[in-house]
Amino acid sequence: MFADTLQKIARALWPILVIWIFKFDELNKVYFFSGAIAVFLGIALVAYLKYRNFTFYIDAENEELILQEGIFNKTNTAISLSKIQQVNINQSLVQRMIGVYGLEVDTAGSTKKEGVIKAISHALALALKARLMEVEKKGITDDMNAITADLMSEEERPFIKISLLSLLKVGITSNYIRSIGLILAFFITLYENGMNFLEQSDFDKQELDSYVNQSFAMTTIALLLAFFLLLVLVFNVIRIVLKYYNFKISKQNESLLLSFGLFNTKSTIIKPERVQITTVSQNYFQKKMNILELKIKQASSGEKEERKAVIDIPACNKIESNAILMLLFDKLAVKGLMLKPNYRKLVFALFLSIVLPLSGFLGFGYFVAPSILEFMPFVPVYVIFVGSIAYFGFRNYRLFVNDDFIIKQSGAWDIANEMIVPEKIQAITSSQLFWHKSADIGSITIHTAGGNLSFQLGDFTRIKHYMNLWLYEIETSDSNWM
Amino acid sequence: MDNFTNETMDTRQLPQFETVAFESLQAKYAWVVFANLMVRIVLLVLAPLVLSRIKPELFDSQLWMILAVVLPVLVLFMSLISYIGFKKKGFAFRNHDVLFRNGIIATNTIVIPYNRVQHLALHEGILSRYFGLATIEIFTAGGSSSDIVIPGIAKEQAENIKQLLMGKIQKQL
Repeated sequence: MFADTLQKIARALWPILVIWIFKFDELNKVYFFSGAIAVFLGIALVAYLKYRNFTFYIDAENEELILQEGIFNKTNTAISLSKIQQVNINQSLVQRMIGVYGLEVDTAGSTKKEGVIKAISHALALALKARLMEVEKKGITDDMNAITADLMSEEERPFIKISLLSLLKVGITSNYIRSIGLILAFFITLYENGMNFLEQSDFDKQELDSYVNQSFAMTTIALLLAFFLLLVLVFNVIRIVLKYYNFKISKQNESLLLSFGLFNTKSTIIKPERVQITTVSQNYFQKKMNILELKIKQASSGEKEERKAVIDIPACNKIESNAILMLLFDKLAVKGLMLKPNYRKLVFALFLSIVLPLSGFLGFGYFVAPSILEFMPFVPVYVIFVGSIAYFGFRNYRLFVNDDFIIKQSGAWDIANEMIVPEKIQAITSSQLFWHKSADIGSITIHTAGGNLSFQLGDFTRIKHYMNLWLYEIETSDSNWM
Repeated sequence: MDNFTNETMDTRQLPQFETVAFESLQAKYAWVVFANLMVRIVLLVLAPLVLSRIKPELFDSQLWMILAVVLPVLVLFMSLISYIGFKKKGFAFRNHDVLFRNGIIATNTIVIPYNRVQHLALHEGILSRYFGLATIEIFTAGGSSSDIVIPGIAKEQAENIKQLLMGKIQKQL
């Protein structure tokens, strides 16, 4: 154990040592050395104190792992053994040099590793790991990190295959907002450049003349726009086909096996019990073509895995999606009672998206740079465009609640339905601005292991009512959320 | 529709989280909040003073005037925020869940059922330790947004709460 201390100090000092060596020939002063030594000693002291104050033990009676650390600010962490998801033993370069191992204990959910024990011997690490995992009889951890290369099992029988045609459909219809945004940005920069160019070259000509030039420029730009739109569509199609080519979903003992990709085939496993939020989204065109997009968020531990935990099924029709949902939930999602947002939601959205930017624009135009007022003709277009987005966004913003599902519908163009099952709720937050008290409106955020779902400015009495109901359901049942 | 009416009958008798009496933080914790506030205020006042020493040419009388108006307002605002923030924080432990209320403009109430608690941590800041206070952090699997941090609890009470929660977590299994 005493050697361990030395090792720990050495470990702590390592970066300083490096800097010291680097700077050695730069500064060759006496007080530099003394300073270095002081820093050296200070760090050694801190490292030693840290070492002295770090203890861990397993409370056999309560079945928990207790970690105590900190010199001045003390932290005492208790991790219930049964909640431990993963125990990792690893060894960094420095740790290898001094022959110790690091042990990380991970429970579900929060972003950082909850328990980190640095520098223990290998035997101890193994023993600890064995002891920590002992409680875990269910063996969830053995294929915790879902992705396996083992795709070629005999039992594979794809029950959904996404054809090239549906992928093409998706490519044409999805990512509209992004494409439009891209085009708009492109258009505006082009227009600005054109204006600059015109102003420079035809500076002495009459305004009318430049106006003619402007309209001429606008037609060219319109052509360019059409071309660009086409380009984006083609790009979109190619991207989606490359990514999702030969998308297959097959069933393998209770879980779904997905594989896709043209050049590099990816494969993922979805376990129904780990699914937290399922999103079905569809826009107007997709509705006409009978395709929809499915997004499945699984319980994740840590930020790094978050992206991996979102699984996209880009295109399937109603029947296929129902089949998948059946597999995940054992029943079909039915939209229950509807909760509408208050009209203030729309007012606020309009205020944010129209009033604020416009007043900024006008203010800037009048007081700072009058030249931008030339964009005035675009203001009505902007108002109508953004206003309709806000309006449809508001109209589609709904929360549906029934016994088995909580479904939140949102989106102006791509209408998304996020579904969660009440058992998956981890915590619920209600929130109310003080000036909304008399209007009895407020917001709710439902936290799950796969992300949050929030509904703003709804009838607060009903929200509280649902909260009580869900809490009751969670607290009375022993349901497994993962 | 039948289902619905049935449901409302049932759920009206459910315990209501909004009627729970919240326990406010220890009065001593106000000193910790106050000390933190003081540190921030001192830093805020010191920053322009130090800067004026280093770069006097930046500070003309106009800027001093602005600072003289802005700084007190800012300090007042910060104090008010700290005070309201302290006043509005409250917690409650029910049989099956823990509630925490906070927020300055909005009132947020977060509820975590005990059978969703992953683990706990007990922090003692250096100042809090002087006052015999501790901070309890309750983690769920829902990521950092759904964790509860309750500051300013008496040390023994915090230990008790920890024991209680650990017991509850164990019992759920």
